[in-house]
Amino acid sequence: MYKTRKLWTPVSTVIRRARPTTCRLTPYSPNSQIQSLPSQLETSSRVPPRYGSHFLANLKISSKTYCSQPAVKIDTTTKRCWNCDAFADGTAPFLYCDFCRSIQPVDFSIDYFQIFGLEKGYEIEVDGLEGKYKDWQKKLHPDLVHSKSEKEREYAAEQSARVIDAYRTLSKPLSRAIYALRLEGVDVDEEQTVSDPELLTEIMEIREAVEEAPDSHTLNQIQSEMKEKLEESSNSFANAYQSRNFDEAVTCIQRMTYYQRASEEITKKL
Amino acid sequence: MAEPAYTVASDSETTGEGKSSSAFPEIAIGIDIGTSQCSVAIWNGSQVELLKNTRNQKLMRSYVTFKDEIPSGGVSNQLSHEHEMLSGAAIFNMKRLIGRVDTDPVVHASKNLPFLVQTLDIGVRPFIAALVNNVWRSTTPEEVLAIFLVELRIMAEIQLKRPIRNVVLSIPVSLSRFQLTRIERACAMAGLHVLRLMPEPTAVALLYAQQQQQMIHDNMGSGSEKIALVFNMGAGYCDVVVTATAGGVSQIKALAGSATGGEDLLQNMMRHLLPNSEKLFSSHSINEIKSMGLLRVATQDAIHKLSFQESVQIDVDLGNGTRICKVVNREEFEEVNQKIFEKCESVTIQCLHDAKVEIDDLTDVIVVGGCSYIPKIRNLVKSVCKREELYKGMNPLEAAVCGAALEGAVASGISDPFGSLDLLTIQATALGIGIRANGNTLVPIIPRNTTMPARKELIFTTVHDSQTDVLIVVYEGEAEKAEDNHLLGYFKIMGIPPAPKGVPEINVCMDIDASNVLRVLAGVILPGSQQPVVPVMEVRMPTVDDGHGWCAEALHRAYGSTLDVVTVQKKI
Repeated sequence: MYKTRKLWTPVSTVIRRARPTTCRLTPYSPNSQIQSLPSQLETSSRVPPRYGSHFLANLKISSKTYCSQPAVKIDTTTKRCWNCDAFADGTAPFLYCDFCRSIQPVDFSIDYFQIFGLEKGYEIEVDGLEGKYKDWQKKLHPDLVHSKSEKEREYAAEQSARVIDAYRTLSKPLSRAIYALRLEGVDVDEEQTVSDPELLTEIMEIREAVEEAPDSHTLNQIQSEMKEKLEESSNSFANAYQSRNFDEAVTCIQRMTYYQRASEEITKKL
Repeated sequence: MAEPAYTVASDSETTGEGKSSSAFPEIAIGIDIGTSQCSVAIWNGSQVELLKNTRNQKLMRSYVTFKDEIPSGGVSNQLSHEHEMLSGAAIFNMKRLIGRVDTDPVVHASKNLPFLVQTLDIGVRPFIAALVNNVWRSTTPEEVLAIFLVELRIMAEIQLKRPIRNVVLSIPVSLSRFQLTRIERACAMAGLHVLRLMPEPTAVALLYAQQQQQMIHDNMGSGSEKIALVFNMGAGYCDVVVTATAGGVSQIKALAGSATGGEDLLQNMMRHLLPNSEKLFSSHSINEIKSMGLLRVATQDAIHKLSFQESVQIDVDLGNGTRICKVVNREEFEEVNQKIFEKCESVTIQCLHDAKVEIDDLTDVIVVGGCSYIPKIRNLVKSVCKREELYKGMNPLEAAVCGAALEGAVASGISDPFGSLDLLTIQATALGIGIRANGNTLVPIIPRNTTMPARKELIFTTVHDSQTDVLIVVYEGEAEKAEDNHLLGYFKIMGIPPAPKGVPEINVCMDIDASNVLRVLAGVILPGSQQPVVPVMEVRMPTVDDGHGWCAEALHRAYGSTLDVVTVQKKI
């Protein structure tokens, strides 16, 4: 599964850059970007396995086109706007130049937490995310840069997509947990087979209970049980993460994944 | 692709009032093509203004008459729509018919319109024709729409004294991407370039966002996030969205729609008044069309009156010896159309559910569109949302076109010194998109209500040993059975090296950009290999042209399950 992902994800990043982003009726011609796919894929296969949907995280390796500098953490004070050459003021992540209002190329050293002005961590204030997300979209959304250069429209498409992804990732506990761990260099495979015998037994029992549930009342009961357990493992994840016990954290994520899935299955049945 | 000269003009944001002639020509106009009525609006530099035709009308009937050599539409034509309808020469309801095949229930429901809609039920486009000098002259919904759009364009060009090219069109939520290509084609035929196709209730949501911004500006409202439900029902469609707006930015939380509208109410009512009407009018002779038209006009009139009075007297002579003389009350009307109202209710409930919004969190409930005058419609939305009052401050018939005009200005890069155009709508997908897999089911890859731009992927595998080819059939819709959805296109991946079934990993990735363009990518890898074994395919969808219903069946007949794929099961 990893192979597919690490191989595949850059493919989608390539088309984001290759396609026209402005109008629906622009005739689309398969251009040279497409032909260069194999080499893009080859380059990207050296990327360490990553959580699937965060394809953009791989971009810095596959796209030599506009990341001429090595992907090392650059001090924010040295960042300059590609358009007006102004220095970033360093108070906010530099996605957008306040002087000339131009959108900056994606900088992967800025993580999702930084985008939202948050300290890296699992327990965050989710309520504030939406407002911040909208503030960013108002500056970065491709709809608003029709009159700008093609280069900047590409930046808009990428930055906007990355902020959507960041918002999606951080607003849900499970994806947030996986992302937080990933920033610590721990990759979690959601699809990995469960090996914890205790959890396995539990899974079997719950599955049976769901299958044999006589009415929606019982299903509702099981679901609220699932939600409770999800909450519990979320708390234990927070503790494990805090104390940097990443093995334990991974186990918590496995549990969260399962409880959430079970809860979704029940919703489907209801 | 702005011209350099234009770039200079729009980059200087200090042009003051925005009325300077150099900035003006770029603004895209907003068009609301209703099933029954149509309107055009534009940002005039300080506000949205609806354009009027030579008869001083802001709302024009959406129809085209094929009486003379040059067809004419409801924009310029002086004769009344009602009269034209009796001759069989007027074609209307094109928004209901566009891009549909002859197996579609909506097409079937159009068969007793006072012009010809013939179906052969084989999944090709229906035969549509107008009666001209006692001869059926065939046409297509695209052609009718294009003729109408040309008239609208000319009307706008005369008034604005400049050529019009860019438009933002409001469209029903439930239209498939295939239907959208037909609308784009009609626009292209009319010399118009579509800047955006905007689902109608999201256009209303944009107007709402602007009004909220205005209130903050006038120190009358709070800057906190407002969540609104927009219910929009016209003659052809019933659409709902839930939007969350703050600081001029609206996030569309969920959309739901159905091809259910005033036309259905009308037909049920006609059937109620004249139970065997379908049989009576089966040959579509000139006399039958006349009777049909008379019944239609009388019924329509009665329905309008029932919005404001409890009962109505219908007295119509159909000219064929049948005279309908009947008093109909509101209760009767509501009973006859119970199923329609139930459908409207379920669309609203589904939208609220998908948005994951509690009704207590709704700041406002907005009901617009021609059907919003019907008391039952207002009441059912109120009751679903548990509200006493609906949002005021929008003209129900003009809200969508105003929103489209705002989007036209925003998308044209116009800015307003007072911040009235400081707006952004973050759209979501209205229908799920997936491929046919696991036998004959639709496996969604991008589910509905996904924020755009969106990209998702899923892994599939082969069903036979040494299967070298797979067929990727892309559908759009919510039905479980693949063929009950809208076919968008298909392509084959060929030359997969022989391997046991279930071994090759076929990765299908779908990508929708901010302009709502859909691309499907597919690649295959085998275990142990780092590279795709065949070149990755990228296909822009939809690829199908007319007769797509037929196409899906032919594919199935020709290939059976030989080129099938199945999903790779998630391990729980």
